[in-house]
Amino acid sequence: MSEDETKELTLETRLARLEEILARMESEEIELEEALKLFEEGVTHVREAERVLSETELKVEELLDDGSTRPVDADERDP
Amino acid sequence: MSEDGILDLFDDPEKPGASTGEGVEVSDEEVEERAEDPSSPEAPGASPGEPLEPKVWSVSQVNRAVRGLLEESVEPLWVGGEVGSWTRSRAGHCYFSLKDERAQLRAVMFSREARRLPTDPDEGTQIRVFGTLTLYEARGEYQLVARTVEAEGADGLWRKAFEELRARLETEGLLAAERKKPIPRYPRCVGVVTSPTGAALRDVISVLARRAPWSRILLAGSRVQGEGASTEIAAALRRLDASGRADVIIVGRGGGSLEDLWAFNEEPLARAIAACRTPVVSAVGHEVDVTISDLVADLRAPTPSAAAESVVPDGVALLRQLRNLPERLGRGLRRAGSRRREAVAERLLRLGRAMERVLTPLRQSVSLGADRLERRMLALAAARRSRLEGLGGRLEALSPLSTLARGYAVARRPDGRVMRSVDDLGPGTRFHLRVADGTVEAESLGPMEDGT
Repeated sequence: MSEDETKELTLETRLARLEEILARMESEEIELEEALKLFEEGVTHVREAERVLSETELKVEELLDDGSTRPVDADERDP
Repeated sequence: MSEDGILDLFDDPEKPGASTGEGVEVSDEEVEERAEDPSSPEAPGASPGEPLEPKVWSVSQVNRAVRGLLEESVEPLWVGGEVGSWTRSRAGHCYFSLKDERAQLRAVMFSREARRLPTDPDEGTQIRVFGTLTLYEARGEYQLVARTVEAEGADGLWRKAFEELRARLETEGLLAAERKKPIPRYPRCVGVVTSPTGAALRDVISVLARRAPWSRILLAGSRVQGEGASTEIAAALRRLDASGRADVIIVGRGGGSLEDLWAFNEEPLARAIAACRTPVVSAVGHEVDVTISDLVADLRAPTPSAAAESVVPDGVALLRQLRNLPERLGRGLRRAGSRRREAVAERLLRLGRAMERVLTPLRQSVSLGADRLERRMLALAAARRSRLEGLGGRLEALSPLSTLARGYAVARRPDGRVMRSVDDLGPGTRFHLRVADGTVEAESLGPMEDGT
């Protein structure tokens, strides 16, 4: 998987892949070469997922009739 | 209702007869109109001072007058009874009769009110009707114009409509558990179909802002109660689904009365949810009753907040978990490394042992062979030596030199042949005589007498 492809992954795919990697890494029969490769991939996923998760501003948009979207501002949402 | 009271009958003597066409079929709409907005009753004049002629009323006048009396003098009221017959016209008006053991009452519910009925009551059902009494002038029949119909307690008709729709959807397999789509665990975009100004949206936003601020909310706004709300919610849901942007969709509203929530029990929304490609979480703010939307949706949440909680993970816990991962990955790697080292050591050891196993007998047999070889070679050499020595002796023994040394001599012809007989040595024969230390030329003088 190239760096670019890795960046495109959704959080869902990334975390699912991480679970796979962990299960594999924590199994008994893994070879050192594979473990090294998975370790590197895993760390990339952790880093990227963390980057995604550290977003702190929830975005709210409204889907308009023509299919475009319009941001809903925070003051608009508060009663 | 009408400002024209019964007294008008006598106040406007010159107006001609009734405006209603007798015997003319009237449409449902006309009926409604007339029922609600009667025109002024008209009556012929009654001339005072002419006592002989009896006053003659037209049928229309009478009906109009009685209708006025009824509408003026009877307040809107609740009437309880059994449904005798119930028909709904194409225009949506409901014509029915109410009865008890002794009597019957005709009733009508016009489409504007009938539209709000969740379903039609069955014949024989006990209902109560709130409405006003009036007279249908064209037929001279008095009737109850119903504004509200309730059956078996306030929820009866709702429950009946609910059960009917549920049964229909169930028959079509739309409620089957195997149709339920899995809810994504980490949605990027959460679609919300609800009122843009309602509490439901606020609740979802606040939960997502707290738990999953990295996600996005995509709102498709819609009215969530009132006439046509179900169709409107369904359209918003379809729009959101078609956009393909939401990973999961929450459709719902905050709590309210059964009637407020009714849109979520209606067919348009139920079918839209069933047809949705995106997983749908139904969240109608009511804890007790289940709605049709709940049944069709892929997941049911008791409130919009609960729906939001169920579609996104808790970000704080997730981050904490994530931060532990490099350590876990590292442990895995180290384990694999040490396993490898152990494996190498183990393999070396095994190799060594295997080599020993091969080498030891080899070494033994080699050294054994070498010993044997050495011994053999020594023996061979000794044998050869002794044989050489033997041969030497024998050669020496055979050598004529030793004989010569003892004083013998050998006579040989010039060609080397040994001369052994006196016959070979006639007188004058020249020959070589080999003695111990050399050879001399000699000539025979012939055989000797008595020579031995």
